[in-house]
Amino acid sequence: MSDCQHHWVMTNVKYGFVIFEKCYHCKELRTYFTEDDSLLLGDEYREGEHFYNRLESAQSFTFDLICTRCNRLETFNDLIGLFYCTSCMPNCQVEKLQQQYAPHKTWIMVAFGVLPDAKKNPIPQAKLDILSDYFNQRRDTTRSRIKIVSFELIADLARCKGGFIHDVGLLTKEGPSEERKPLF
Amino acid sequence: MTVQELIKIMGLTPLSTFEDREVKGVFISDMVSDVMTAAKSGNLWLTIQTHKSIVSTANLADVSAVVITGGKKVPQETIDIASKYNIALLSSPLPTYTLAIKLHELGIEAE
Repeated sequence: MSDCQHHWVMTNVKYGFVIFEKCYHCKELRTYFTEDDSLLLGDEYREGEHFYNRLESAQSFTFDLICTRCNRLETFNDLIGLFYCTSCMPNCQVEKLQQQYAPHKTWIMVAFGVLPDAKKNPIPQAKLDILSDYFNQRRDTTRSRIKIVSFELIADLARCKGGFIHDVGLLTKEGPSEERKPLF
Repeated sequence: MTVQELIKIMGLTPLSTFEDREVKGVFISDMVSDVMTAAKSGNLWLTIQTHKSIVSTANLADVSAVVITGGKKVPQETIDIASKYNIALLSSPLPTYTLAIKLHELGIEAE
């Protein structure tokens, strides 16, 4: 086992799109990351027994982490995104953890694996701890900390009203203010 | 300079409740993925985005405050989440460019 006190930085950052789909027969959720913007059109399609419909797509990115001290590379191609809790279900383990950690100024974020694979093979806790370490190393931890937990702790995915931290819904519907001067 | 000092000097409007802290540089972006990858702890984040996901992004990136520029109306939901996470959410009627120039004149630069 390494004695390195890892200092993580992002590497292999790729910008692209996260796609969320659902089979309207079996209700299975499917997520994937793609750099191909032609997939954003989101036609319904059949694959084996499944009939997938597009739920949402969003601009996002993937990354790996590398230790600047020992060059250890930790890949995160199994991470589809980070998710924030909106306290929508009082009996949800994520909300319970939020209440437990909030007095210590530790904020809970939920890591989503690539579905449906992540339901059988969730992102290992050791990798979630590395993610937490990364975000804590970036911040002033005397003020607050971040704790990343697995999406498996969400009580009911179908009822969860939390949100992904993705570039979605960012188009402002508000026009420019009237007093703004024309550019030319 | 602290967030509270900046509010007074720049005439910013605080929208959420928050603990004061030091401002260390400026980061300008309207993409949360950009902020997550490149913003630094203590940065003042200037954006026109008002979606609630900016609060979690600000929290993850540990920015000192989010300034919504151009006088954009911020949804109450975004303000409530910012207060919950103790994130300083501020508003300015100035366009991002003008505000950035004023910050530069105060010696607050992009890092």
